[in-house]
Amino acid sequence: MAVTATHIWYYFICKREVWLLSRGIAADQEDENLDLGRFIDRNTYQKNKKEIVAGNIKVDRVRKEGEEVVVGEVKKSSRFKESSRYQLLFYLDSLRQMGIEARGELLFPQEKKREKVEWTEEKKKELDKVVEDIRKIAKKPVPPAPKKINFCKKCAYREYCWAEG
Amino acid sequence: MKKTLYIFQKGRLRRKDNSLLFEGEETGKKFIPVEDTNDLYLFGEVDISKSSMEFLSQKEICVHYFNQYYGYYMGTFYPREHLNSGHVILKQAEHYIDYEKRVDLARQIIFGSISQMTQVLNYYKNRIVSGADEITAVIDDFKKQLENLDQAKEIEELMAEEGHAREKYYSLFDYIIQNKDFPFEKRTKRPPLNRLNALISFGNSLCYTIVLSETYKTYLDPRIGFLHSTNFRRFSLNLDVAEIFKPIIVDRLIFSLLNRKQLNKKHFDKHTNAILLSEEGRKIFIRELDERLKQTKKHRGLGRNVSNRRLIRLELYKIQKHLLEEKEYKPYKAQW
Repeated sequence: MAVTATHIWYYFICKREVWLLSRGIAADQEDENLDLGRFIDRNTYQKNKKEIVAGNIKVDRVRKEGEEVVVGEVKKSSRFKESSRYQLLFYLDSLRQMGIEARGELLFPQEKKREKVEWTEEKKKELDKVVEDIRKIAKKPVPPAPKKINFCKKCAYREYCWAEG
Repeated sequence: MKKTLYIFQKGRLRRKDNSLLFEGEETGKKFIPVEDTNDLYLFGEVDISKSSMEFLSQKEICVHYFNQYYGYYMGTFYPREHLNSGHVILKQAEHYIDYEKRVDLARQIIFGSISQMTQVLNYYKNRIVSGADEITAVIDDFKKQLENLDQAKEIEELMAEEGHAREKYYSLFDYIIQNKDFPFEKRTKRPPLNRLNALISFGNSLCYTIVLSETYKTYLDPRIGFLHSTNFRRFSLNLDVAEIFKPIIVDRLIFSLLNRKQLNKKHFDKHTNAILLSEEGRKIFIRELDERLKQTKKHRGLGRNVSNRRLIRLELYKIQKHLLEEKEYKPYKAQW
Protein backbone atom coordinates (compact mmCIF):
# COMPACT_ATOMS: atom_id res chain seq x y z
CA MET A 1 0.00 0.00 0.00
CA ALA A 2 1.25 3.47 -0.84
CA VAL A 3 1.34 5.53 2.32
CA THR A 4 0.37 9.15 1.66
CA ALA A 5 0.53 12.38 3.59
CA THR A 6 -3.17 12.00 4.42
CA HIS A 7 -2.44 8.75 6.23
CA ILE A 8 0.39 10.43 8.14
CA TRP A 9 -1.87 13.31 9.09
CA TYR A 10 -4.60 11.09 10.49
CA TYR A 11 -2.19 8.67 12.14
CA PHE A 12 -1.72 11.13 14.98
CA ILE A 13 -5.42 11.91 15.24
CA CYS A 14 -7.39 8.71 14.66
CA LYS A 15 -6.00 5.29 13.75
CA ARG A 16 -9.45 4.10 12.77
CA GLU A 17 -9.63 6.77 10.11
CA VAL A 18 -6.28 5.56 8.75
CA TRP A 19 -7.75 2.08 8.38
CA LEU A 20 -10.94 3.33 6.69
CA LEU A 21 -8.94 5.47 4.26
CA SER A 22 -6.62 2.58 3.49
CA ARG A 23 -9.64 0.48 2.48
CA GLY A 24 -11.00 3.18 0.22
CA ILE A 25 -13.85 4.07 2.55
CA ALA A 26 -14.20 7.84 2.39
CA ALA A 27 -16.12 9.98 4.84
CA ASP A 28 -19.58 11.35 4.12
CA GLN A 29 -18.93 13.71 1.22
CA GLU A 30 -22.01 15.76 2.00
CA ASP A 31 -20.80 16.62 5.47
CA GLU A 32 -21.03 20.35 6.02
CA ASN A 33 -17.50 20.62 7.41
CA LEU A 34 -16.08 18.96 4.32
CA ASP A 35 -18.08 21.34 2.19
CA LEU A 36 -16.72 24.26 4.16
CA GLY A 37 -13.16 22.98 3.79
CA ARG A 38 -13.55 22.67 0.02
CA PHE A 39 -14.95 26.17 -0.12
CA ILE A 40 -12.03 27.60 1.88
CA ASP A 41 -9.55 25.77 -0.32
CA ARG A 42 -11.16 27.10 -3.49
CA ASN A 43 -11.55 30.66 -2.31
CA THR A 44 -8.51 31.57 -0.25
CA TYR A 45 -5.00 32.46 -1.32
CA GLN A 46 -6.36 32.73 -4.86
CA LYS A 47 -3.60 35.06 -5.90
CA ASN A 48 -0.57 33.38 -4.47
CA LYS A 49 -1.56 29.76 -4.56
CA LYS A 50 1.65 27.96 -5.39
CA GLU A 51 0.70 24.35 -4.98
CA ILE A 52 3.26 22.02 -6.46
CA VAL A 53 2.67 18.38 -7.22
CA ALA A 54 5.61 16.02 -7.26
CA GLY A 55 5.03 12.29 -7.37
CA ASN A 56 2.30 11.60 -4.84
CA ILE A 57 2.88 14.65 -2.73
CA LYS A 58 1.35 18.07 -3.05
CA VAL A 59 3.02 20.93 -1.22
CA ASP A 60 1.39 24.27 -0.53
CA ARG A 61 4.28 26.53 -1.45
CA VAL A 62 7.95 26.39 -2.37
CA ARG A 63 10.51 29.18 -2.41
CA LYS A 64 14.23 29.51 -2.71
CA GLU A 65 16.32 31.18 -0.08
CA GLY A 66 19.77 31.49 -1.60
CA GLU A 67 20.71 27.92 -2.36
CA GLU A 68 18.10 26.49 -0.02
CA VAL A 69 14.70 25.16 -1.05
CA VAL A 70 12.01 25.98 1.50
CA VAL A 71 8.76 24.06 1.51
CA GLY A 72 5.87 25.78 3.24
CA GLU A 73 2.78 24.02 4.57
CA VAL A 74 -0.15 26.25 5.43
CA LYS A 75 -2.45 25.20 8.26
CA LYS A 76 -5.60 26.72 9.62
CA SER A 77 -4.48 26.27 13.20
CA SER A 78 -1.71 24.72 15.23
CA ARG A 79 -4.21 22.41 16.87
CA PHE A 80 -2.78 19.30 15.27
CA LYS A 81 0.84 20.28 15.41
CA GLU A 82 2.24 16.79 15.63
CA SER A 83 0.30 15.70 12.57
CA SER A 84 1.45 18.80 10.73
CA ARG A 85 5.10 18.25 11.62
CA TYR A 86 5.17 14.68 10.45
CA GLN A 87 3.24 15.50 7.32
CA LEU A 88 5.84 18.10 6.39
CA LEU A 89 8.64 15.75 7.34
CA PHE A 90 7.08 13.21 4.98
CA TYR A 91 7.19 15.79 2.18
CA LEU A 92 10.81 16.63 2.92
CA ASP A 93 11.70 12.96 2.92
CA SER A 94 9.86 12.32 -0.36
CA LEU A 95 11.65 15.25 -1.96
CA ARG A 96 14.95 13.93 -0.65
CA GLN A 97 14.31 10.62 -2.34
CA MET A 98 13.88 12.57 -5.57
CA GLY A 99 17.24 14.21 -4.95
CA ILE A 100 15.96 17.51 -3.59
CA GLU A 101 17.21 18.66 -0.24
CA ALA A 102 14.76 21.02 1.36
CA ARG A 103 13.92 22.66 4.63
CA GLY A 104 10.36 22.97 5.87
CA GLU A 105 8.18 25.62 7.38
CA LEU A 106 4.79 25.25 8.98
CA LEU A 107 2.69 28.36 8.50
CA PHE A 108 -0.20 29.35 10.70
CA PRO A 109 -1.29 32.63 9.11
CA GLN A 110 -4.28 33.12 11.39
CA GLU A 111 -2.09 32.75 14.45
CA LYS A 112 0.76 34.73 12.90
CA LYS A 113 3.14 31.91 13.71
CA ARG A 114 5.61 29.84 11.80
CA GLU A 115 7.69 26.86 12.77
CA LYS A 116 10.75 25.27 11.25
CA VAL A 117 10.83 21.60 10.43
CA GLU A 118 14.07 19.97 9.43
CA TRP A 119 14.92 16.57 8.06
CA THR A 120 17.44 14.74 10.27
CA GLU A 121 18.54 11.11 10.40
CA GLU A 122 16.85 10.77 13.73
CA LYS A 123 13.51 12.16 12.61
CA LYS A 124 13.67 10.05 9.49
CA LYS A 125 13.84 6.97 11.71
CA GLU A 126 10.74 8.11 13.56
CA LEU A 127 8.93 8.76 10.28
CA ASP A 128 9.82 5.27 9.07
CA LYS A 129 8.34 3.83 12.23
CA VAL A 130 5.11 5.74 11.62
CA VAL A 131 4.93 4.59 8.01
CA GLU A 132 5.50 1.02 9.06
CA ASP A 133 2.78 1.29 11.70
CA ILE A 134 0.36 2.71 9.14
CA ARG A 135 1.01 -0.33 6.95
CA LYS A 136 0.31 -2.55 9.95
CA ILE A 137 -2.98 -0.78 10.66
CA ALA A 138 -4.03 -1.08 7.03
CA LYS A 139 -3.35 -4.82 7.09
CA LYS A 140 -5.66 -5.44 10.03
CA PRO A 141 -8.72 -7.39 8.86
CA VAL A 142 -11.05 -5.41 11.11
CA PRO A 143 -10.93 -1.64 11.68
CA PRO A 144 -9.82 -0.32 15.08
CA ALA A 145 -12.91 0.39 17.22
CA PRO A 146 -14.06 4.01 17.37
CA LYS A 147 -12.89 6.04 20.33
CA LYS A 148 -14.69 9.19 21.29
CA ILE A 149 -12.20 12.03 21.02
CA ASN A 150 -12.60 15.74 20.55
CA PHE A 151 -12.00 15.36 16.83
CA CYS A 152 -15.17 13.25 16.45
CA LYS A 153 -17.36 16.31 16.87
CA LYS A 154 -16.48 17.69 13.48
CA CYS A 155 -15.34 14.55 11.75
CA ALA A 156 -17.20 13.55 8.58
CA TYR A 157 -17.03 9.90 9.68
CA ARG A 158 -18.88 10.60 12.92
CA GLU A 159 -22.23 9.28 11.75
CA TYR A 160 -20.61 6.16 10.42
CA CYS A 161 -18.61 5.55 13.59
CA TRP A 162 -21.39 6.31 16.03
CA ALA A 163 -24.43 4.96 14.23
CA GLU A 164 -26.03 2.52 16.62
CA GLY A 165 -29.25 1.89 18.46
CA MET B 1 -29.83 18.36 4.09
CA LYS B 2 -30.42 18.07 0.36
CA LYS B 3 -33.98 17.97 -0.90
CA THR B 4 -36.07 15.50 -2.80
CA LEU B 5 -37.81 16.87 -5.86
CA TYR B 6 -41.14 15.52 -7.11
CA ILE B 7 -42.42 16.26 -10.60
CA PHE B 8 -46.08 15.58 -11.27
CA GLN B 9 -46.69 17.55 -14.41
CA LYS B 10 -45.90 16.84 -18.01
CA GLY B 11 -42.78 18.44 -19.34
CA ARG B 12 -39.25 18.26 -20.51
CA LEU B 13 -36.02 18.04 -18.55
CA ARG B 14 -32.86 19.21 -20.18
CA ARG B 15 -29.43 20.47 -19.37
CA LYS B 16 -28.92 24.19 -19.56
CA ASP B 17 -25.31 25.27 -19.13
CA ASN B 18 -24.34 24.10 -15.68
CA SER B 19 -27.83 23.46 -14.45
CA LEU B 20 -30.96 21.50 -15.19
CA LEU B 21 -34.01 23.13 -16.64
CA PHE B 22 -37.50 21.73 -16.35
CA GLU B 23 -39.98 23.05 -18.87
CA GLY B 24 -43.36 22.20 -17.45
CA GLU B 25 -46.55 22.42 -19.45
CA GLU B 26 -48.36 24.00 -16.54
CA THR B 27 -45.78 26.09 -14.74
CA GLY B 28 -43.30 26.94 -17.44
CA LYS B 29 -39.53 26.99 -17.09
CA LYS B 30 -37.93 26.26 -13.79
CA PHE B 31 -34.32 25.59 -12.85
CA ILE B 32 -33.52 22.61 -10.65
CA PRO B 33 -30.95 23.44 -7.96
CA VAL B 34 -28.73 20.40 -8.59
CA GLU B 35 -26.30 21.04 -5.76
CA ASP B 36 -29.17 20.94 -3.32
CA THR B 37 -31.07 18.00 -4.82
CA ASN B 38 -30.79 14.55 -3.30
CA ASP B 39 -33.01 12.63 -5.70
CA LEU B 40 -35.75 13.12 -8.23
CA TYR B 41 -39.19 11.51 -8.51
CA LEU B 42 -40.92 11.60 -11.87
CA PHE B 43 -44.65 10.97 -11.69
CA GLY B 44 -45.61 13.02 -14.70
CA GLU B 45 -44.82 12.35 -18.33
CA VAL B 46 -41.32 13.79 -18.47
CA ASP B 47 -39.08 13.75 -21.52
CA ILE B 48 -35.56 13.57 -20.29
CA SER B 49 -32.58 14.24 -22.51
CA LYS B 50 -29.38 12.22 -22.49
CA SER B 51 -27.32 15.24 -21.56
CA SER B 52 -29.51 15.83 -18.54
CA MET B 53 -29.03 12.21 -17.49
CA GLU B 54 -25.28 12.65 -17.84
CA PHE B 55 -25.53 15.69 -15.66
CA LEU B 56 -27.68 13.91 -13.06
CA SER B 57 -25.14 11.12 -12.98
CA GLN B 58 -22.31 13.57 -12.51
CA LYS B 59 -24.21 15.20 -9.66
CA GLU B 60 -24.96 11.77 -8.17
CA ILE B 61 -28.73 12.16 -8.26
CA CYS B 62 -30.97 9.06 -8.48
CA VAL B 63 -34.13 9.37 -10.57
CA HIS B 64 -37.16 7.28 -9.61
CA TYR B 65 -39.78 6.73 -12.31
CA PHE B 66 -43.43 6.16 -11.62
CA ASN B 67 -46.15 5.48 -14.13
CA GLN B 68 -48.20 8.60 -14.60
CA TYR B 69 -51.56 6.93 -15.01
CA TYR B 70 -51.37 4.25 -12.31
CA GLY B 71 -48.61 5.59 -10.09
CA TYR B 72 -46.80 2.24 -10.22
CA TYR B 73 -43.07 2.24 -9.59
CA MET B 74 -41.29 1.61 -12.86
CA GLY B 75 -37.62 1.80 -12.06
CA THR B 76 -34.70 3.90 -11.00
CA PHE B 77 -31.96 5.59 -12.91
CA TYR B 78 -29.20 4.63 -10.51
CA PRO B 79 -26.14 6.57 -11.67
CA ARG B 80 -22.73 5.00 -11.89
CA GLU B 81 -21.46 4.06 -8.45
CA HIS B 82 -19.25 6.82 -7.15
CA LEU B 83 -18.47 5.24 -3.80
CA ASN B 84 -16.39 2.15 -4.26
CA SER B 85 -14.42 0.10 -1.84
CA GLY B 86 -13.22 -3.34 -2.90
CA HIS B 87 -13.09 -4.40 0.71
CA VAL B 88 -16.73 -3.53 1.44
CA ILE B 89 -18.11 -5.23 -1.65
CA LEU B 90 -16.12 -8.41 -0.98
CA LYS B 91 -17.36 -8.51 2.60
CA GLN B 92 -20.94 -7.96 1.44
CA ALA B 93 -20.64 -10.84 -1.02
CA GLU B 94 -19.02 -13.01 1.64
CA HIS B 95 -21.99 -12.45 3.95
CA TYR B 96 -24.31 -13.54 1.19
CA ILE B 97 -22.38 -16.62 0.11
CA ASP B 98 -21.73 -17.86 3.66
CA TYR B 99 -25.24 -19.14 4.39
CA GLU B 100 -24.91 -18.95 8.15
CA LYS B 101 -23.80 -15.33 7.96
CA ARG B 102 -26.63 -14.59 5.58
CA VAL B 103 -29.23 -16.18 7.87
CA ASP B 104 -27.86 -14.21 10.84
CA LEU B 105 -28.38 -10.92 9.05
CA ALA B 106 -31.76 -11.95 7.67
CA ARG B 107 -32.80 -12.88 11.22
CA GLN B 108 -31.85 -9.43 12.50
CA ILE B 109 -33.89 -7.82 9.73
CA ILE B 110 -36.97 -9.90 10.58
CA PHE B 111 -36.37 -9.15 14.24
CA GLY B 112 -36.35 -5.46 13.38
CA SER B 113 -39.43 -5.73 11.24
CA ILE B 114 -41.54 -7.49 13.89
CA SER B 115 -40.23 -5.18 16.62
CA GLN B 116 -41.27 -2.15 14.61
CA MET B 117 -44.74 -3.58 14.03
CA THR B 118 -44.91 -4.07 17.79
CA GLN B 119 -43.98 -0.43 18.31
CA VAL B 120 -46.78 0.71 16.01
CA LEU B 121 -49.29 -1.49 17.84
CA ASN B 122 -48.08 -0.23 21.20
CA TYR B 123 -48.61 3.32 20.02
CA TYR B 124 -52.20 2.70 18.96
CA LYS B 125 -53.18 0.31 21.75
CA ASN B 126 -54.31 3.11 24.06
CA ARG B 127 -55.53 5.46 21.39
CA ILE B 128 -58.27 3.37 19.82
CA VAL B 129 -61.95 3.01 20.64
CA SER B 130 -62.11 -0.78 20.48
CA GLY B 131 -59.78 -3.66 19.88
CA ALA B 132 -57.28 -3.04 22.68
CA ASP B 133 -57.55 -6.67 23.79
CA GLU B 134 -56.98 -7.96 20.27
CA ILE B 135 -53.94 -5.71 19.90
CA THR B 136 -52.54 -6.81 23.26
CA ALA B 137 -52.94 -10.44 22.20
CA VAL B 138 -50.97 -9.86 19.01
CA ILE B 139 -48.27 -7.95 20.88
CA ASP B 140 -47.90 -10.99 23.15
CA ASP B 141 -47.74 -13.27 20.13
CA PHE B 142 -45.02 -11.10 18.63
CA LYS B 143 -43.01 -11.31 21.82
CA LYS B 144 -43.04 -15.11 21.63
CA GLN B 145 -42.26 -15.01 17.94
CA LEU B 146 -39.25 -12.79 18.53
CA GLU B 147 -37.95 -15.18 21.17
CA ASN B 148 -38.30 -18.10 18.79
CA LEU B 149 -36.52 -16.43 15.88
CA ASP B 150 -33.17 -17.78 17.08
CA GLN B 151 -34.30 -21.27 16.20
CA ALA B 152 -34.88 -20.46 12.53
CA LYS B 153 -32.00 -21.85 10.49
CA GLU B 154 -33.31 -21.16 7.00
CA ILE B 155 -34.20 -17.98 5.15
CA GLU B 156 -37.57 -19.52 4.20
CA GLU B 157 -38.48 -20.05 7.86
CA LEU B 158 -37.68 -16.42 8.59
CA MET B 159 -39.74 -15.28 5.62
CA ALA B 160 -42.63 -17.39 6.90
CA GLU B 161 -42.32 -15.90 10.39
CA GLU B 162 -42.49 -12.44 8.90
CA GLY B 163 -45.47 -13.42 6.78
CA HIS B 164 -47.40 -14.69 9.80
CA ALA B 165 -46.57 -11.60 11.80
CA ARG B 166 -47.65 -9.32 9.02
CA GLU B 167 -50.95 -11.16 8.62
CA LYS B 168 -51.75 -10.72 12.32
CA TYR B 169 -50.63 -7.13 12.14
CA TYR B 170 -52.81 -6.32 9.15
CA SER B 171 -55.79 -7.96 10.83
CA LEU B 172 -55.68 -5.13 13.38
CA PHE B 173 -55.80 -2.31 10.84
CA ASP B 174 -59.59 -2.09 11.01
CA TYR B 175 -59.37 -1.26 14.73
CA ILE B 176 -56.76 1.40 14.14
CA ILE B 177 -58.45 3.02 11.14
CA GLN B 178 -62.14 2.62 12.03
CA ASN B 179 -63.37 3.98 8.75
CA LYS B 180 -65.96 2.08 6.71
CA ASP B 181 -64.48 3.42 3.51
CA PHE B 182 -61.14 1.79 4.25
CA PRO B 183 -61.62 -1.84 5.30
CA PHE B 184 -58.54 -3.99 5.18
CA GLU B 185 -60.27 -7.20 3.91
CA LYS B 186 -57.08 -8.88 2.72
CA ARG B 187 -53.71 -7.91 1.37
CA THR B 188 -53.81 -7.62 -2.40
CA LYS B 189 -50.93 -6.42 -4.51
CA ARG B 190 -50.40 -6.10 -8.24
CA PRO B 191 -53.11 -4.90 -8.46
CA PRO B 192 -54.42 -3.67 -5.14
CA LEU B 193 -58.14 -4.40 -4.97
CA ASN B 194 -59.24 -1.90 -2.38
CA ARG B 195 -58.30 1.58 -1.21
CA LEU B 196 -56.28 0.59 1.82
CA ASN B 197 -54.27 -1.87 -0.24
CA ALA B 198 -53.65 0.84 -2.80
CA LEU B 199 -52.23 3.03 -0.04
CA ILE B 200 -50.03 0.28 1.37
CA SER B 201 -48.66 -0.60 -2.06
CA PHE B 202 -47.95 2.98 -2.99
CA GLY B 203 -46.34 3.72 0.37
CA ASN B 204 -44.18 0.60 0.30
CA SER B 205 -42.94 1.29 -3.21
CA LEU B 206 -41.93 4.78 -2.09
CA CYS B 207 -40.19 3.34 0.95
CA TYR B 208 -38.12 1.05 -1.29
CA THR B 209 -36.97 4.00 -3.40
CA ILE B 210 -36.08 6.11 -0.37
CA VAL B 211 -33.89 3.33 1.00
CA LEU B 212 -32.40 2.89 -2.48
CA SER B 213 -31.48 6.58 -2.68
CA GLU B 214 -29.81 6.31 0.71
CA THR B 215 -27.98 3.12 -0.29
CA TYR B 216 -26.51 5.04 -3.22
CA LYS B 217 -24.79 7.28 -0.69
CA THR B 218 -23.03 4.33 0.94
CA TYR B 219 -20.49 1.73 -0.15
CA LEU B 220 -23.08 -1.04 -0.12
CA ASP B 221 -24.25 -2.68 -3.33
CA PRO B 222 -28.05 -2.57 -3.49
CA ARG B 223 -28.09 -5.73 -5.62
CA ILE B 224 -26.93 -7.93 -2.75
CA GLY B 225 -29.66 -8.35 -0.17
CA PHE B 226 -29.69 -10.92 2.58
CA LEU B 227 -33.30 -11.68 3.35
CA HIS B 228 -34.42 -11.11 -0.22
CA SER B 229 -32.32 -13.24 -2.48
CA THR B 230 -30.09 -11.75 -5.04
CA ASN B 231 -30.48 -12.29 -8.72
CA PHE B 232 -28.23 -9.42 -9.71
CA ARG B 233 -30.84 -7.95 -11.99
CA ARG B 234 -32.80 -6.02 -9.45
CA PHE B 235 -32.18 -4.25 -6.22
CA SER B 236 -32.80 -6.22 -3.07
CA LEU B 237 -30.81 -4.74 -0.18
CA ASN B 238 -33.25 -1.83 -0.13
CA LEU B 239 -36.16 -4.26 0.23
CA ASP B 240 -34.41 -5.77 3.28
CA VAL B 241 -33.83 -2.48 5.04
CA ALA B 242 -37.29 -1.18 4.11
CA GLU B 243 -38.81 -4.00 6.22
CA ILE B 244 -37.63 -2.12 9.29
CA PHE B 245 -38.97 1.26 8.20
CA LYS B 246 -42.26 0.34 6.53
CA PRO B 247 -44.20 0.06 9.80
CA ILE B 248 -43.04 3.32 11.31
CA ILE B 249 -42.88 5.42 8.17
CA VAL B 250 -45.49 4.07 5.76
CA ASP B 251 -48.08 2.49 8.05
CA ARG B 252 -48.03 5.29 10.59
CA LEU B 253 -48.45 7.77 7.76
CA ILE B 254 -51.43 5.89 6.33
CA PHE B 255 -53.13 5.80 9.73
CA SER B 256 -52.63 9.47 10.31
CA LEU B 257 -53.76 10.46 6.80
CA LEU B 258 -56.96 8.46 7.20
CA ASN B 259 -57.69 9.30 10.81
CA ARG B 260 -57.19 13.00 10.15
CA LYS B 261 -59.37 12.63 7.04
CA GLN B 262 -56.68 14.10 4.82
CA LEU B 263 -57.45 11.30 2.39
CA ASN B 264 -60.93 10.01 1.59
CA LYS B 265 -62.88 8.05 -1.01
CA LYS B 266 -62.56 10.87 -3.49
CA HIS B 267 -58.81 10.38 -3.74
CA PHE B 268 -59.09 6.97 -5.35
CA ASP B 269 -59.83 5.92 -8.91
CA LYS B 270 -61.39 2.68 -9.96
CA HIS B 271 -59.69 1.09 -12.93
CA THR B 272 -60.83 -2.03 -14.76
CA ASN B 273 -59.23 -4.37 -12.27
CA ALA B 274 -57.61 -2.21 -9.66
CA ILE B 275 -58.26 0.58 -7.21
CA LEU B 276 -55.54 3.18 -7.14
CA LEU B 277 -54.70 6.46 -5.53
CA SER B 278 -55.57 9.40 -7.76
CA GLU B 279 -52.99 11.98 -8.74
CA GLU B 280 -54.38 14.36 -6.13
CA GLY B 281 -54.17 11.57 -3.54
CA ARG B 282 -50.59 10.80 -4.51
CA LYS B 283 -49.66 14.45 -4.06
CA ILE B 284 -51.12 14.55 -0.57
CA PHE B 285 -49.46 11.27 0.34
CA ILE B 286 -46.06 12.43 -0.87
CA ARG B 287 -46.27 15.84 0.74
CA GLU B 288 -46.96 14.28 4.13
CA LEU B 289 -44.37 11.55 3.62
CA ASP B 290 -41.72 14.12 2.79
CA GLU B 291 -42.70 16.06 5.90
CA ARG B 292 -42.37 12.93 8.01
CA LEU B 293 -38.93 12.13 6.61
CA LYS B 294 -37.70 15.58 7.55
CA GLN B 295 -38.88 15.34 11.15
CA THR B 296 -36.00 15.00 13.55
CA LYS B 297 -35.49 13.18 16.80
CA LYS B 298 -32.65 13.06 19.26
CA HIS B 299 -30.33 10.17 18.49
CA ARG B 300 -28.69 8.65 21.54
CA GLY B 301 -25.60 7.26 19.86
CA LEU B 302 -24.81 10.51 18.07
CA GLY B 303 -26.05 12.80 20.80
CA ARG B 304 -27.85 15.11 18.41
CA ASN B 305 -30.96 15.40 16.29
CA VAL B 306 -31.28 13.34 13.14
CA SER B 307 -34.10 13.22 10.60
CA ASN B 308 -36.11 10.10 9.89
CA ARG B 309 -34.47 9.94 6.46
CA ARG B 310 -31.07 10.05 8.11
CA LEU B 311 -32.05 7.15 10.34
CA ILE B 312 -32.25 5.03 7.21
CA ARG B 313 -28.72 6.01 6.23
CA LEU B 314 -27.50 5.21 9.75
CA GLU B 315 -29.13 1.79 9.46
CA LEU B 316 -27.13 1.16 6.30
CA TYR B 317 -23.96 2.27 8.05
CA LYS B 318 -24.73 -0.23 10.81
CA ILE B 319 -25.10 -2.99 8.25
CA GLN B 320 -21.80 -1.99 6.67
CA LYS B 321 -20.13 -2.15 10.09
CA HIS B 322 -21.59 -5.62 10.56
CA LEU B 323 -20.18 -6.70 7.19
CA LEU B 324 -16.75 -5.34 8.11
CA GLU B 325 -17.06 -7.41 11.28
CA GLU B 326 -16.55 -4.48 13.55
CA LYS B 327 -19.92 -4.38 15.22
CA GLU B 328 -22.79 -6.81 15.20
CA TYR B 329 -25.89 -5.39 13.56
CA LYS B 330 -28.84 -4.66 15.82
CA PRO B 331 -31.85 -3.21 14.04
CA TYR B 332 -33.21 0.20 14.86
CA LYS B 333 -35.97 0.26 17.43
CA ALA B 334 -38.21 3.26 17.66
CA GLN B 335 -38.34 4.59 21.19
CA TRP B 336 -41.79 6.09 21.39
